Amino acid sequence: MNWRLALLGDHALVFSLEEKMSEEIIEKIMALKKSIETLHFDFIKELIPSYHTLTLVYDINLFYQNNITVKNNQSVVEFGNDMLTAFNSAATNSTIKNAAEKIKANNNLIENNSFTDREKIIQIPVCYDERLGIDLENIVSRNKISIEEIIKIHTEETYLVYCLGFLPGFAYMGKVNAAIQIARHASPRKEVQAGSVGIAGMQTGIYPMNSPGGWQIIGRTPIKIFDKAPAILGKLSAGNRIQFYPIDFAEFEKLNEYK
Amino acid sequence: MAIQIIKKGIADTIQDIGRYGYQHLGIQANGYLDYQSARLANYILGNSVNAPVFEIHFPASSFCFTRNYTICISGANFVPLLNEKSIAINTAIEVKQNDILQFLKPLEGRIAYIAIQGTIKEDSWLNSHSYFANSIQKDAQFEWEVSTEISNQFLKNSELLSSEIINEMHSPIFSSGPIQFIPGPAWNDLTEASQKLFLSTEYHIGMQANRMGYPLKGALLQLNKPNQYLSAAVTRGTLQLLPNGELMVLMADHQTIGGYANLGQIILVDLPRLAQASNQTSIHFMETTIDTAHKLYQQIEKKFIHRS
Repeated sequence: MNWRLALLGDHALVFSLEEKMSEEIIEKIMALKKSIETLHFDFIKELIPSYHTLTLVYDINLFYQNNITVKNNQSVVEFGNDMLTAFNSAATNSTIKNAAEKIKANNNLIENNSFTDREKIIQIPVCYDERLGIDLENIVSRNKISIEEIIKIHTEETYLVYCLGFLPGFAYMGKVNAAIQIARHASPRKEVQAGSVGIAGMQTGIYPMNSPGGWQIIGRTPIKIFDKAPAILGKLSAGNRIQFYPIDFAEFEKLNEYK
Repeated sequence: MAIQIIKKGIADTIQDIGRYGYQHLGIQANGYLDYQSARLANYILGNSVNAPVFEIHFPASSFCFTRNYTICISGANFVPLLNEKSIAINTAIEVKQNDILQFLKPLEGRIAYIAIQGTIKEDSWLNSHSYFANSIQKDAQFEWEVSTEISNQFLKNSELLSSEIINEMHSPIFSSGPIQFIPGPAWNDLTEASQKLFLSTEYHIGMQANRMGYPLKGALLQLNKPNQYLSAAVTRGTLQLLPNGELMVLMADHQTIGGYANLGQIILVDLPRLAQASNQTSIHFMETTIDTAHKLYQQIEKKFIHRS
């Protein structure tokens, strides 16, 4: 796989792979993110993964004050290329040899970690009652499928989180089985309830809070996936694997954390 | 409490440098729309330059002080009145208990900042006081605490800051001249004719400008491919091409990722100027390089003695 490096204005760099929604690609993106994170550069403000890109937001002043980059009189593009070289571990005589070695050592760790990550599947309960899954009927009529089959298919798959965005904690997950795929509403609803689980094309997602939204709602989870409390903040992140399991309305009410 | 909102403005908030390190969770950075004016107000008072300030849009909130403070208003000139008497901007002003601060009319610029000498007494969230998706309500109350360290810094800074120096920091934000950008991932997906059009014609800020984004009115642009990209991170200053051919500049409250054509980024040095431009201002765009952008940024940063 060929990495590309591009400028995103004067305070961000973007590392990218082929533009497609693929497990292999997002795993590579997450591995590069972990590699760079372990180097603890003080000038890095953000590392934002999304599908086929990793965006590095930096502080311009701190970049030029940082020992490693200043010593080598590096430009940000050279720095970015070094990160890629080190990640690929091709050249150990890179200008930031130590960084390269650090990354190499970490790559071994990451490989072990990603193996356990792969095994770990976050289970999320969803109530597919029609009182909550207010767009189930749309899928029934357009896709010629029963609600029971929709639930079976939606809960059978494991989904990968490709990125977070739109709202704090909103995870874009895929890929949804073609039998239950449906386009988003032509015009968005004024308010979708927090916890609502929706489908938009080949993606599924959970609304972390009440918000306008256009996804077709098939159910609701009683579990808070985002809250201001630090413990709930990062409940879902890119690279996570998710599986939904069905619960009935009584259990939904019992577990409901949004009350 | 010590500062009370007695009239609610349309979109006033508290902002600091922003909330960084959480965009991978979809949490927006927020922060000052015009970081240069906000920092100037803080600097004049001896505060940390990235400290929280009131960000004021017009029609603005009105404030009642319930104890003595030193304040500084920078950025837009909304004709600030203290007890109905006009006061200067970019100047430390002493306010007394029961003084009332109001704003009369938008004379120049879009966003004013009120810095209060001291440290805000309020819990931060994820290391920032920046508001997101809400604004300051009527009867809200705020308090700042003054330390001797800040008062001493204030005295030091006042010796350094002549009115010429202050003007040198303030006036570029309200000057004309092209807005510089660095081409982004989808720049080469524009048709050649659209690239030329973008670089040669004038744009205006649309009526719906807000903290999330400024729509631009002017020549519509076209891509030589469908305007559909896998979502990727965007930054403040991103020039996004919408499906109808219009442009949107993403501002401080932008969503963390976007799936429309990313044509480029306005450089940090020119963002305050765009943020403050009126709907009537003619805006021209000019391509620049990262080396120029970094040089210009560091020149501005050198004017502030860093304290954080």
